[in-house]
Amino acid sequence: MASKLLASAASTLRRTLTEKNATYHLFRRLSTSSAAADPSPSAADSYEDADGITMKGVKISGRPLYLDMQATSPVDPRVLDAMLPYNLSRYGNPHSRTHLYGWESENAVETARSQVAALIGASPKEIVFTSGATESNNISVKGVMHFYRDKKRHVITTQTEHKCVLDSCRHLQQEGFDVTYLPVGTDGIIDLEMLRSAIRPDTGLVSVMAVNNEIGVIQPLEEIGKICKEFNVPFHTDAAQALGKIPIEVDKWNVSLMSLSGHKIYGPKGVGALYMRRRPRIRVEPQMNGGGQERGIRSGTVPTPLVVGFGAACELAMKEMEYDDKRISQLQERMLNGLRERLDGVIVNGSVERRYAGNLNVSFAYVEGESLLMGLKEVAVSSGSACTSASLEPSYVLRALGVDEDMAHTSIRFGIGRFTTEAEIDRAVQLTVQQVEKLREMSPLYEMVKEGINIKDIQWAQH
Amino acid sequence: MAPAAATARRVPAKSEVLGLFRSLLRTARQFTDYNIREYTKRRTVDGFRMNRTLSDPDAIASAFSDGTAQLEVAKRQVIIYSLYAPKVKSIMDVKP
Repeated sequence: MASKLLASAASTLRRTLTEKNATYHLFRRLSTSSAAADPSPSAADSYEDADGITMKGVKISGRPLYLDMQATSPVDPRVLDAMLPYNLSRYGNPHSRTHLYGWESENAVETARSQVAALIGASPKEIVFTSGATESNNISVKGVMHFYRDKKRHVITTQTEHKCVLDSCRHLQQEGFDVTYLPVGTDGIIDLEMLRSAIRPDTGLVSVMAVNNEIGVIQPLEEIGKICKEFNVPFHTDAAQALGKIPIEVDKWNVSLMSLSGHKIYGPKGVGALYMRRRPRIRVEPQMNGGGQERGIRSGTVPTPLVVGFGAACELAMKEMEYDDKRISQLQERMLNGLRERLDGVIVNGSVERRYAGNLNVSFAYVEGESLLMGLKEVAVSSGSACTSASLEPSYVLRALGVDEDMAHTSIRFGIGRFTTEAEIDRAVQLTVQQVEKLREMSPLYEMVKEGINIKDIQWAQH
Repeated sequence: MAPAAATARRVPAKSEVLGLFRSLLRTARQFTDYNIREYTKRRTVDGFRMNRTLSDPDAIASAFSDGTAQLEVAKRQVIIYSLYAPKVKSIMDVKP
């Protein structure tokens, strides 16, 4: 009830703020004749000058510190440096076979292909460039099942997959395929015995993500791969959040297909890759038909600058993985200790041991997550996946873990990355603690808990 | 390719290594972006500290040419970052 009140108060506040801003913008539009000089003419309520930014009714004196690395990561300057030449004079189409422009672009694309392949222990011939992990997941799930539709009618996946896998499965169900959504334990890890018993003779694909985007838990991929090999079922994994962060060996995991993304590893947005095993060969029905690029699996001109950036990001990730990992683990520890020292009721969602350190999904008891996010305007964080952050629904991933409804509403995901500093962590901890204390002070629930009342025993009256 | 390989084989003098270190730090400080600036400084210091114990001449030479290439990248990127720097600085750069 308290959370509902807060939410409604927040939305009224937001409405008044935007209204005020709309009039402000109208003034501005009337007074300036050079609308073209405005860098963002379409952003109706944003305004930026040396004193601060006003956007969506929020005024901040500086750009917020960024702790949302699971949504996307900043582009590494070394990656941008590799990309720029292909946005300038080297603009050839990599599929042009008749001139130098095409040849140099093709060389660059092939170099990138081997850089991506090297990071996952694959052969460059097994890499298909796509627009991102969502497309790779769609090709994997729908493409495999469509190709083998005569004999294989069943897919196994988990309840905590990314939306694009779940939605592809939903699509298959509408076409008459069977889908098993495996539940996960309270730590977010699937039960291997349950997977084993779910496999049927007509199972055409097992799809389990490597690192969860919301809670950062790492699934036991090697063991899953073994089970799939035993039953001779193709294994697909969405490794968008795992690439460059945990060591990946396609042969060790025995994956047939793997989805990769560029913008989670300090590369450009709009590019990704699909790993497709050659031996034993896995085949898919293409989603995109056309010029037959990427061996006909993904037609459409390969975007040379993006692919070059993705390749450079992979090479960097390979070099920097150890260094980054050590640092990110230290920062995660610093953050968690900082929060726990000064607050009670801080709960880490998902397994603590089997977890990628750069993802810290925590719940603050008796505090509503959205209100906390609103108060933390100087820290760029989210309550979960960026895809679902528009809705006030609690995350389906947390619900799959069996997190209580009230705790699922209180989650915040801190994403730590290569460019995060100690000072940022300290500032984020300080601001979070301040905000949580402030919200708890207002919360009648917290007061009752302090008095020793068990919240679960309260009988709520219906209005 | 050939000239790069030739320079890679030459072992740099101590003064050259120190010069590279100072240039990298000087360039790093010029980044307008808070995170990139701090990262470049930190990575430079940590990189030189990690390679402090190198004794193999080939390894020293290749580490040096690596660092030189990184310096070139940093110099170019400092310019690009300054060209498109947002009007508002990071909250971490704003004096409270």
